[in-house]
Amino acid sequence: MSTLEFFKWCDSTWISLVIRDSTNIFPVVEVFHLFGLTLLLGIVTVVDMRILGFGLRRQSIPAVAKALEAWGVGAAVLTITTGILLFLSEAMKCYANQAFPYKMWFLLAGIVLYFLTQRGITKNTMSLGVMKLVAVLTLVVWYGVALAGRAIAFV
Amino acid sequence: MSILEICQWIQNSSVGTSIRESTYTFPLIEASHVIGLAVSVGTIALVDLRLIGVALKDEPVSDVLEQLQPWTLSGFAAQFLSGIFLFWSEAAKLYPSYSYRAKFVFMFLVGINALVFHRTIYKSVDKWNRDVVTPWQARMAGWIGITFWALVIYFGRWTAYNLK
Repeated sequence: MSTLEFFKWCDSTWISLVIRDSTNIFPVVEVFHLFGLTLLLGIVTVVDMRILGFGLRRQSIPAVAKALEAWGVGAAVLTITTGILLFLSEAMKCYANQAFPYKMWFLLAGIVLYFLTQRGITKNTMSLGVMKLVAVLTLVVWYGVALAGRAIAFV
Repeated sequence: MSILEICQWIQNSSVGTSIRESTYTFPLIEASHVIGLAVSVGTIALVDLRLIGVALKDEPVSDVLEQLQPWTLSGFAAQFLSGIFLFWSEAAKLYPSYSYRAKFVFMFLVGINALVFHRTIYKSVDKWNRDVVTPWQARMAGWIGITFWALVIYFGRWTAYNLK
């Protein structure tokens, strides 16, 4: 199956049709996408800024990372689930969009980075230097997802 | 001069027109509006979730609130500033929008909520700082905060749909 065929298939599922046929489903799903994004980026910001030495400094890095782990994952699941629904309803538009692939690569990088580094941070087995590098990368990658996502509407 | 006429005048000013007709300025302002949203409402949500007693449960309420407050305020400043420029470019379209007005009603209410919280129950925070289940006034402030901010986002996003 080629990429084009895959996008065409995504564009024609029954979910795509239901969302496209309705005036209100898309905006409602998008609002929940924004709720998830706000919480996810808020958590990413708080955790990574703590690693870089700002914000919740009276708490230890592993404590902050551990306490917000479940909320971060929950927010990511909400954002990605609603994102898939939005994508299905306009897959062909995304196929032709220049910003969309950037968003997907950033997203993939963010997910991989999370699974590679989260244990090292919560169990404090990673050196602070590496942790700071990871924090910068994580911030860049997740804000990259959001900004490339916003750019979909403009390019 | 009616308010709508004033809005028309704002929108037609050179700054308003140049933002509206630019290729990059409008998207860049939108981008700062999204970043500001994550930093301000994202940190507010964490404080509210702590007040409700479901996130950062082991951390003292005042630690969470005071250390995140500068982030909330700078994020809000970014929101406010980028919001002014967005309004500048489409004032006459935004002013009649009911969702745009509703957004400001809820921002006003959320401000009152924060003010009341700080002036009343938060004054005795030392007595319940480490409690997971905070006093009902604090939990209520958390619930109102998170719900009303969600409504601000909802009406903000809805405004863009209604403009078209």
